[in-house]
Amino acid sequence: MTVRTGTFRRSPLLLIGTATLFLHLLSVALPAASAFAASQQDTLKIGVLAPLSGPYAAGGTSFVQAVTLAVEQANAEGGVFGQRVTTVVADTQGRVDVAKAEALRLVSREKVTALVGAYLSEETVGVMEVAAAQRTVLLVPVAATAEITGMVRREYARYRYVFRVGYSLPQWAEMIAAFLPDRKVRRYAFVGAGIRWNRELGETLERTVSPRGIVPVYTAYYSPGNPAFDTVAVAAAASSPDMVILADPGRNSVSFLKRLREVAPALPVLSVGGALGDARLAASIPRAGPVYVQAAAWRGVSPAATAYVERFEHRYGAAPVGYSDTLPYDAVTVLVAAWRKAGSAATQAVVPVLERGAFEGVAGTYRFDASHQAVWGTGAGALRGTFVRWERGASRIVFPRR
Amino acid sequence: MLLDGLFAGGTYALMAAGMALILGVVKVINLSHGAFFTLGAYVAYALAERGVETPLAAAPLAAVIAFAFGVFLGKSFINPARKHPFALPVGTLACALLFEQAAQGIWGPHPLSIESGDPWIGPGGLVIRRWGVIAFLSSAALLGGLRWILSARPGLPLRLIAEDEEIAGSLGMDVEAIRYLTFGGACAMAAAAGALLAPSAAVTPMIGRAPLLLSLVVVIVAGMDSVAAIFLLSIGLGIFGNACAWFLSPQWSYVSLLVAVCLLLSARPAGIVVLACRRDG
Repeated sequence: MTVRTGTFRRSPLLLIGTATLFLHLLSVALPAASAFAASQQDTLKIGVLAPLSGPYAAGGTSFVQAVTLAVEQANAEGGVFGQRVTTVVADTQGRVDVAKAEALRLVSREKVTALVGAYLSEETVGVMEVAAAQRTVLLVPVAATAEITGMVRREYARYRYVFRVGYSLPQWAEMIAAFLPDRKVRRYAFVGAGIRWNRELGETLERTVSPRGIVPVYTAYYSPGNPAFDTVAVAAAASSPDMVILADPGRNSVSFLKRLREVAPALPVLSVGGALGDARLAASIPRAGPVYVQAAAWRGVSPAATAYVERFEHRYGAAPVGYSDTLPYDAVTVLVAAWRKAGSAATQAVVPVLERGAFEGVAGTYRFDASHQAVWGTGAGALRGTFVRWERGASRIVFPRR
Repeated sequence: MLLDGLFAGGTYALMAAGMALILGVVKVINLSHGAFFTLGAYVAYALAERGVETPLAAAPLAAVIAFAFGVFLGKSFINPARKHPFALPVGTLACALLFEQAAQGIWGPHPLSIESGDPWIGPGGLVIRRWGVIAFLSSAALLGGLRWILSARPGLPLRLIAEDEEIAGSLGMDVEAIRYLTFGGACAMAAAAGALLAPSAAVTPMIGRAPLLLSLVVVIVAGMDSVAAIFLLSIGLGIFGNACAWFLSPQWSYVSLLVAVCLLLSARPAGIVVLACRRDG
């Protein structure tokens, strides 16, 4: 077959398409080559599962950035047993089937020692099956559904390799329930994207706060594909809540908040975490009323948290949002600490250490309960999380009071 | 609810009119139309980053850039590939995905946002969305201009090519050039819509997907013959979507909209305006 140069002259797009295909093949080939090279060295590999394309690419990118930073930190401290720690990143595309297939590839072909991920609850439940079948430690940083720890509790022998670093929905609700009275909230509107964990959080929060006399006066879930922001914003404001709780970690939270500010400029809003933790986005929202953001950790909470934020800022040019980046960072930190404590990266040695140990992270000291859930909440020794308020040009930690 | 439906629908009409123009004159379903909306939104963001925070400045700049891209795309790909019916939808979809990847490469996957400013307070304390009003009025003015062009002498070649390309060619018109210039013009309209709506949303590489679908729906239902019908139907759909969200559930607004369109099309497959005109005739 011959290719005439005139073909490219007549159709520049064909040339661009060919170049794009070439670059794509190169981008696939280069990491594979570097992974092969890495496998030749003495390294401990962590398989990272995150959505780097599709609608959750923003959260997935922050996830990988934070994991990279944590691995660099571990290597700067001398690695583990003198071995370097490396990552093999897989793009889950936010799809369960892809997440499962990639998890299997990471374990069986890339020979990773442990997995960190995935991002969505649905993906993570799928990846748990792979971790169970392959007897590989899986640390779950952000997926919040009760199903994950429920599976560990019900079938411990099968799923004992799975540990959740991030907060569960009841813990999340408990932390919000402690914050609401501090802001004198008696009535709240609960609004979010109509996805699984939002609905579960809405229901769990209602159950948690009702004994304290706090009631939801409006609840709505908009379609993530084409959200009817205007109507939801008007209805939420019309229900006269003391605060709107915005359960959407993605880009729609920004769009919704802009609409809400147009109909109710002074109404306080609490974002349960995610995009609104980004200072650049928060700066674009009119600030007549307070905007609060819940985060796992924040600059100023502790010296470790401040150091992490500064490293992140220095490396990536923007501060972390405190959720989809901070929790993956801590997941790797906990995993590396467990390897060091166990004196081995073997699954059978690491699982008991994770079950019994205490591990320092950016958000505080991690301990896991019987269902392998990190202990967050308001009890003694629990990780407490942070609530910050955006103010012009800066953020201020408002809860827990310090 | 009515005002918001009016504002949103009015701006989407600008994009839908561009889509209809391409469908009528170039006879192509342009699935890269949403990418030009995205381009407009990013131009607005890039200007805002440099201190120019008004989309009224961003819209003309976005339109010029999109026109240049559109002409390039029309000349290098759309015109040569027109004879292959399956190549164009797939090709334009590939262009859209390529653009999304490029936008992600340049600006990153994270959402970006332009300061939207405080709303206007109207008579009786009525809160009016600042950018909703500005975008609606800009859109109405641009569509009015398009309607005038299409009905006056400058629009004659477009009308003729839409009716019969062979006759237009036999009259000495450069049909190929008119096609790619029209394609560029329609892309400019989508980019202007993107720039005008950028302050009210978060700018991401996929911001153009929902408007693409909505404009396709509008064009399918309204037909390609009347700019006024497209404008009115866009507003109608905007208000209908809001009403469904209000009276049913926010999650049902989109589904209800699509169900209504399906029912409408099963009753009037050629589009409501086309049939009405034929009956009148």
